[in-house]
Amino acid sequence: MRISKNKNLLFIVILIAGISLYFFNQHAVLQEDDEELNLLLLKIEHSPTPILLDSLNLKVRAIWTQKCYSCHSSEKMKADLALDTYDGVLTGGKDGPVINVNKSGRSEMIRRLKLHRGNKDAMPPKGESLTPLEIKAIATWIDHGAVWAKGKVNVFNESPLALQKPKLSEPSEYDNPVDIWVDQYFRKNHITWSPIISDEKFIRKVYLDVIGLAPGIDELHEFINDKSPDKRIKLVDQLLDRNQDYATHWLSFWNDLLRNDYAGTGFITEGRKQISTWLYQSLLHDTAYTRMVRSLIHPYSESEGFINGIQWRGEVNASQRTEMQAAQNVSQSLLGINMKCASCHNSFVNNLSLEQSYGFASVFAKQPLEMHRCDIPTGKKIKPAFLYPSLGSITKDSLQDRLEELAQFMTSPDNGRLYRTLVNRMWHQLFGRGIISTLDNMDGKAWSQELLDALACDFRDHQTSIKTLLKLLLQSKTYQLPSVDYQSPEEMNRSSFIFNGPAYKKLHAEQVIDVIGQCIQPLYEGVSFDPSFHRLPSQWIWYHEISFDRTVLPKPGKVYFRKTFDLSSPDKIKSAKLIATAEHSHRTFLNGKEIASGNDYRYFEIKNIKEFLVTGRNMIAVEAINDAEQGDMANPAGFLFYLQIVKDNKDTSVIYSDETWLSSNTEEHNESWQKINFNDLSWKHAHRYYNFTNSPWGLLTRFGIDSIDNRFQIARAALVQADPLSLALGRPTRENVTTKRSEEPGLLQTIALTNNTLLHKRIREGATKLFESFKSDKTLCIEQLYLKLLCRYPSEKEIQILTSYFAASYQTEDIEDLIWSIIASPEFQYL
Amino acid sequence: MIEYPYTRREFLEMIKKASLASLSVGLTGSSFLTSCKPNNKLVPTADAVILLWMAGGMAHTETFDPKRYTPFVKGMDSKSVISTFESIPTKLDGIHFSKGLEEIADVMDLGTLIRSYRAADLGFILHTRHQYHWHTCYQPPQSFQPPHIGAWIAKELGGKNEVIPPFIDIGQRFTVGEGEELKAFHSAGFLGSEYAPFYIPDPQTGLDSISPPQGMDLARFEKRHKLYQDLLQSGPLHDRHPYQQDSYIKSMERSYALLKSPEAKAFDLNLEPKETYDKYNTGRFGLGCLMARRLVEHGARFISVTTEYEPFLGWDTHENGHERLVKMKELIDRPVSLLIKELKEKGLLDRTLIILASEFSRDMLMEGRPNQKVKDQVDVPDKVAELKNYGMHRHFTDGGSILLWGGGIKKGNVIGQTADERPFSTVKEPIVIDQLHQSVYHALGILPETNYVVEGRPFYTTPDGHGKKIQGIFENGM
Repeated sequence: MRISKNKNLLFIVILIAGISLYFFNQHAVLQEDDEELNLLLLKIEHSPTPILLDSLNLKVRAIWTQKCYSCHSSEKMKADLALDTYDGVLTGGKDGPVINVNKSGRSEMIRRLKLHRGNKDAMPPKGESLTPLEIKAIATWIDHGAVWAKGKVNVFNESPLALQKPKLSEPSEYDNPVDIWVDQYFRKNHITWSPIISDEKFIRKVYLDVIGLAPGIDELHEFINDKSPDKRIKLVDQLLDRNQDYATHWLSFWNDLLRNDYAGTGFITEGRKQISTWLYQSLLHDTAYTRMVRSLIHPYSESEGFINGIQWRGEVNASQRTEMQAAQNVSQSLLGINMKCASCHNSFVNNLSLEQSYGFASVFAKQPLEMHRCDIPTGKKIKPAFLYPSLGSITKDSLQDRLEELAQFMTSPDNGRLYRTLVNRMWHQLFGRGIISTLDNMDGKAWSQELLDALACDFRDHQTSIKTLLKLLLQSKTYQLPSVDYQSPEEMNRSSFIFNGPAYKKLHAEQVIDVIGQCIQPLYEGVSFDPSFHRLPSQWIWYHEISFDRTVLPKPGKVYFRKTFDLSSPDKIKSAKLIATAEHSHRTFLNGKEIASGNDYRYFEIKNIKEFLVTGRNMIAVEAINDAEQGDMANPAGFLFYLQIVKDNKDTSVIYSDETWLSSNTEEHNESWQKINFNDLSWKHAHRYYNFTNSPWGLLTRFGIDSIDNRFQIARAALVQADPLSLALGRPTRENVTTKRSEEPGLLQTIALTNNTLLHKRIREGATKLFESFKSDKTLCIEQLYLKLLCRYPSEKEIQILTSYFAASYQTEDIEDLIWSIIASPEFQYL
Repeated sequence: MIEYPYTRREFLEMIKKASLASLSVGLTGSSFLTSCKPNNKLVPTADAVILLWMAGGMAHTETFDPKRYTPFVKGMDSKSVISTFESIPTKLDGIHFSKGLEEIADVMDLGTLIRSYRAADLGFILHTRHQYHWHTCYQPPQSFQPPHIGAWIAKELGGKNEVIPPFIDIGQRFTVGEGEELKAFHSAGFLGSEYAPFYIPDPQTGLDSISPPQGMDLARFEKRHKLYQDLLQSGPLHDRHPYQQDSYIKSMERSYALLKSPEAKAFDLNLEPKETYDKYNTGRFGLGCLMARRLVEHGARFISVTTEYEPFLGWDTHENGHERLVKMKELIDRPVSLLIKELKEKGLLDRTLIILASEFSRDMLMEGRPNQKVKDQVDVPDKVAELKNYGMHRHFTDGGSILLWGGGIKKGNVIGQTADERPFSTVKEPIVIDQLHQSVYHALGILPETNYVVEGRPFYTTPDGHGKKIQGIFENGM
């Protein structure tokens, strides 16, 4: 914007606002700081050692940083007073000295700090006043000689970097480190272990947590009837071994964390790259976390999307250049550090300086970056530097070498922060609240530092296997404690939080959608990312709709396609398999005979059409309809076709939908257009609206004529591009890193549950099937739904309600309403 | 067709109970945010806003700021092309519009015409990036998702009528090119999905979005809800739900109340007299204007109606500019003027602020702005060989028009000026987006320093809280 003086002012205004608000928010933290400061003052009263006085000075300067520097620093010098240097403090301002060493009672600063707001001399005139304790601290410091310490002023708490493996003072009755340290914690806080949850609750929870699906009825019965004492342990092992399901479920967590998605801003101008394949493979093989981190930081082409960031076409704010995005995202996602503030100016949420942020960003840059303060260039180039010099210094010149160095430092066993951050995130996923509640600020307070460090050490010392870590958590007794009714989000986020057991967790969009898909009817047919790499050359074609020389969306209405191909001798054909589908409907003819049709793109069958083939020229003719979805608006439409002809000598040829097909939108009134000799000179080439892998309906995982063993039976929500339903249910757009989804859904979410068109269409389809199967047995229908969706039998009271409900009417729509009522119940929506 | 079982009064009582309950829910849900609002109050001059969005870059010289008319002559020099339309007079002395906008010209005495909008210089043009900036006041990308202006308003003021969603977005589909970029700013960002836009891609079927599921009549909707309630009360946690579930249950109740609301009729265009419907019906945009009028009558807060952005369509003329603008003007002229006239007749114009704007302007030759010329995206031949080449095919950011009516906006007012010779840049009183946003907030009584703390950082309605409202834009001399 304009001149830098204004900028400084702005920075300071933001600083005041930010700090006061931050502290307003962090009231609980302040109280703890109070205790610490109180203690320090008491100790000094007792015996004022130089060490204590030094730390008092640092405290005093931290108070000034928060409440005085916005006006009285070397940058600002209001009333010629700067409190950020010793000289400045001793010299005072234009009204004279501010402190009288050893005489706080005769120090101007203390007088003014004590004045009431409204008095023209009162300080600070705006923003939050100093607390009596803070004033006392400054007075004590003056009375003890006003010494100036050499140390760094840390306004904010910083956790030690290294892990401290806790030691047990006495042997524990538990084996699992989770339970050992929780037990210690419980003893200290006089909490007794609650009885563990029922088998029904356990199985539902562990299925959803590990693979994001509900157990089938058989699996449920088998588990409940299993009498072995270690059945819960075994179940965890079995679920963790379901590699595909595990990887698919956890993909959503990692996509959120690493800001990876199948669509989003930036892709259009190639300013963004997916890391989906790399990520999926890493999860599938439980790649060591340190190796994952190395691949993210010193990437190869499949994992470079993370640090490459999102680049929009055109110029961007300096704090959003891709190197800074890399620094911010690596800090937030992997280290639990908020660098967003410090990428514009010195941070007011942690101790990071602008220069540190630029140093870190420079690691990801070809050349050292010029530091910008609030988007104004400072002329100062900042050398690459890691945030934690104690782990090593960046020394190499080339970008690649530097990234390799950084990857090494990041994954060093001494970088406790890396391990703690991940352990805390996993704990949050399973227990609904982190050991530290601020997942992205790992300097926050842990309710049990011993537990956190014990787990982080364990994780580090077990080849950083995420599955091993999860196993430890899932096989603990702690995991089996009942969910606790913590009173409010404030209580949950408080740093004085007391852990009594897991918090209630809202099912994520993907879990809701997948369980409905599994138990009622799949929501989607196609995926956006197919880990099995199923590909066909077929294209989604339609009549080429043009307006002012531009391709536009297909209009509603009927269109026609024609395609010819030659065959030498059909009698030597071993097989001819065809599969075809359309949005919204099609009828497909071969040489005048109807060979396939459909009015829902999700349903298609493999057809053997050998008998319809003729020697010489063959003619495929298709009529297809694009329905109006809303009003008479143009909307996506497509026809997809694949025909494989295998001869006895194994020669194979394929015919598939593409732009060589001819197309027309002129209504045909007789069947002559299906014939070879029809005059199609006025027809034009069909347009490829989408390719096989990338259409509004996704990549149809079951569309193919080969065996589908290795393909997905249902399109899992994690693999599907975000749609209005999943977004409403809380899936984030991945424009920024997301590390926590909301436990309290808003109105948009409940409205979607109540009237989303797709959801209700699928519930209706599912209810129709159920009605067919249980026409004569209402009770069994009720029972099946409860077992599938809630993993339990209906209670007597529920049976009573439903029996009388179904006594009035038992039709598809009644089943539909029951399905909906269960899905909408908090019991279904929460774990 | 839905029946409306309650009287309006009964219904409002009921919804009030439901929404009071969910108000507390909303607060807990967004407790990570802290609003910073000093106590001094502005006196609002408007309660509702309608944004008429001319998506794709509307050339000011071809619409509301015409220059010398240079008729089409085969083979003419491209650089000789100034305006491709004749000028027509407006209700304001000495102020002319481009031919085809006669009806809007007829209501210009009721509003303010800004002729000096200067879009941000974001380098190589990408429409959606400029639109993102226009709607959020922040340049993408950002480390937090900034809210759309409609979401800010929804957050600060809530629904005027508790039943009608506070932020309604009419006419934009996301299945078009740049759909992902469009989604990125049609968002409540960090304010949370509570304030996200309520979409109505097609006004003709707008009712569906605010009704029970398709194919479910009201009786069944009620029956279903009763079943859900009965089961809830007999469920394992019937007596006391943890707070997370409690908030969920309240939200479910509110959704139920909303979707069976008699106010839903605001979304039903079939209730309009056929004559009115036909007059507005120049296409989806025209019907969107009609729906906006109905929604304002029923207490909507912020409504956006767009001509719809789709790359190279609508106002995004990369060729055939002249011919296509004839169509675009037909699309907007009558419905926009009707909207203003009818709101006036109904006595609602005084409290409804209407804005007509576009992300930037266009020119025959200049891409970007003078001295900051950016990479060309359209080949413009030196000679205009055919009609196809006649029109404003490049993206111009240094001047543009914005029209405002109602909600305390000064009547018959003109602000700013552009040059009469190429480049048609702003030469007087340049206006930037921050000023426009602050003017809208000012009219609504939202303080300029409004901000929320996100991840420890204050995030203002306009960057750094710096925007100042446009001087002299309001009737009351403000």
